[in-house]
Amino acid sequence: MNNRNIIGIYDDQDVLLNALDELQENGVKIKDVYSPIPLHGVFERLHLKTRLPYATFIYGAIGVVSVFLFLYWTSVVSYPLKFGGKPLNTLSFIIIMFVLTIFVGTLFTFLTYFIREKMFPGKQVELPIPETTNDKFAVLIEKEVTMTEDDLKKVNSLLQKTGAVEIKETE
Amino acid sequence: MYNTRVRGVLIKGNKSFADVSRDIIKPMDDKTPMWWWVTAFLATGALFWGVWGFYNTISTGIGEWGLNNNVAWGWAIINFVWWIGIGHAGTAFSIFLLILRQKWRTSINRAAEAMTIFAVMAAGLFPLIHMGRIWDGFFIFPYWNTRGPLWDNFNSPLFWDVVAISTYLMASFVFWYMGMIPDFATIRERTTSKMKKKIYGILSFGWIGNARGWLRFETAALLLGGMAAPLVVSVHSIVSMDFSVSVVPGWHTTIFPPYFVIGAIFSGFGMVLTLMIILRKLYKFKDYVTDGHLDAIARILTFISLIMGTAYLTELFMAWYSGNEYELFTFMKNRVTGEYTFAYWTMLTCNAFIPQLFWFKKIRKNITIVFIISIFINIGMWFERYVIVVTSLSKDFLPATWATYEPTITEIAIFVGTLGLFLLGVLMFFRFVPTVAISEVKSVLKETTTLKSFTDE
Repeated sequence: MNNRNIIGIYDDQDVLLNALDELQENGVKIKDVYSPIPLHGVFERLHLKTRLPYATFIYGAIGVVSVFLFLYWTSVVSYPLKFGGKPLNTLSFIIIMFVLTIFVGTLFTFLTYFIREKMFPGKQVELPIPETTNDKFAVLIEKEVTMTEDDLKKVNSLLQKTGAVEIKETE
Repeated sequence: MYNTRVRGVLIKGNKSFADVSRDIIKPMDDKTPMWWWVTAFLATGALFWGVWGFYNTISTGIGEWGLNNNVAWGWAIINFVWWIGIGHAGTAFSIFLLILRQKWRTSINRAAEAMTIFAVMAAGLFPLIHMGRIWDGFFIFPYWNTRGPLWDNFNSPLFWDVVAISTYLMASFVFWYMGMIPDFATIRERTTSKMKKKIYGILSFGWIGNARGWLRFETAALLLGGMAAPLVVSVHSIVSMDFSVSVVPGWHTTIFPPYFVIGAIFSGFGMVLTLMIILRKLYKFKDYVTDGHLDAIARILTFISLIMGTAYLTELFMAWYSGNEYELFTFMKNRVTGEYTFAYWTMLTCNAFIPQLFWFKKIRKNITIVFIISIFINIGMWFERYVIVVTSLSKDFLPATWATYEPTITEIAIFVGTLGLFLLGVLMFFRFVPTVAISEVKSVLKETTTLKSFTDE
């Protein structure tokens, strides 16, 4: 992946979304969008999807089964001990299963998020422009090697036309 | 669509995104104010007194407390339940109001979640110290041992408690931290101090805020929130089972789980109200935590207070309707009248009657009175736990074993110590963390402020 980009900077979320439409209609490929807030319009326009919920479901399923197996093994197999004449394999296991399933699901979803995002404490990052964490929205368009001067001009004029407050290029 | 006619403008003062970042980060960049040092000094003093109480209990034993054979649960359990109740505010705010699509939560949820974490930490100390031999605390975990191996009794509510509370603490912390990552990145990119850039750089985990990152962030936050929502209900239900699965009169009722959950949310919102009034005053956050926000909390409290009143009446009714003379005695002769009349009526007044004043708009608009009422709620909920724990235990089936209970100085010290711990935690939060969720406020900013002219049509 190269780092040669054209960056269009916007200062309003609705202007940005309109700009994305316009750019896409003109066949410009958008590489990424940096913003201070999550924008559902951006996810839709870039056709982004995440499989995180499936992962959570799997963690939950593994959690509930393994907790039950552990409870069953300890209370019925390993050391069967009667308490007040109640059955060894009881319905009240549900309470621990319920809570620990949430425990497993929460912890592993949290960890999965960081692994997928490749985030960790102390990671050094370089933002295209630092203001995207404050009040600016940045659209990144990759300068592909096949792009001609005319293509670049077209992108530039489109960005300008759609209301970009600033256009930057990185080499 | 957000309807401004119902709730008013969420964020006042026509803020831009840059204004929001600046306003919320400003108190962190300012010089540490005098009130902070003074409160921190007092809180540390309280904490040290609590440490003394801990030391006293551990070095001498539980005999340092005012407990006896009958009243084996005293202040420790009362305070444990009280703190856990307060700890329900964060998740109740973040999750229930998220599900109900209440956008006004964005200015408050960060502080409510922080409160949750410190309150649950304070709560967790009590069962630990109550064991007496704190160094044997690990016995509660089901680990492979040489005694059989002998496992825990997995049908004991006390074990459920450990599981529920540690899960709740972990889930609340994870949810809270997750929400702060974009805000830490905002500080990282804004600050001019090298030290801060480094610290918040580490804390922000390398957040960049690109489209895919936000999508995963939102999904993860929703998943974590969705999983924490049932915890709000389950934690205090399980705490209530510590009482209700026993056969002690006054405890052995099926109303306990919902009654405890509602009580927890009530005290949690009460404490949120107390803290938010202080926060917005000290940090001049009146544009973010508007009168409308406080009004909304007050309305919720009115409603929950009605449920509390209903629960109290139901208990009395069931005591009579059950035809059980022990139940009837506990409620009528030991709570409504008798030795513990003061505690019972304080509870009823603070929880069921005083919050009803919020029906009047004039009272809801007067922040000083709102603040005082919120303090009454905190006190009332403490007395509720006192009534439940002490009255039932002190006079049960055999009059020959009746006993009274009074806390000793050690127990008081431990309680004051946890207050100090909580306060110190909150002060740290006020100083080093953005107290309002910056990115969340920004995402409701345009919809609820600029579009006002459309929705007002």
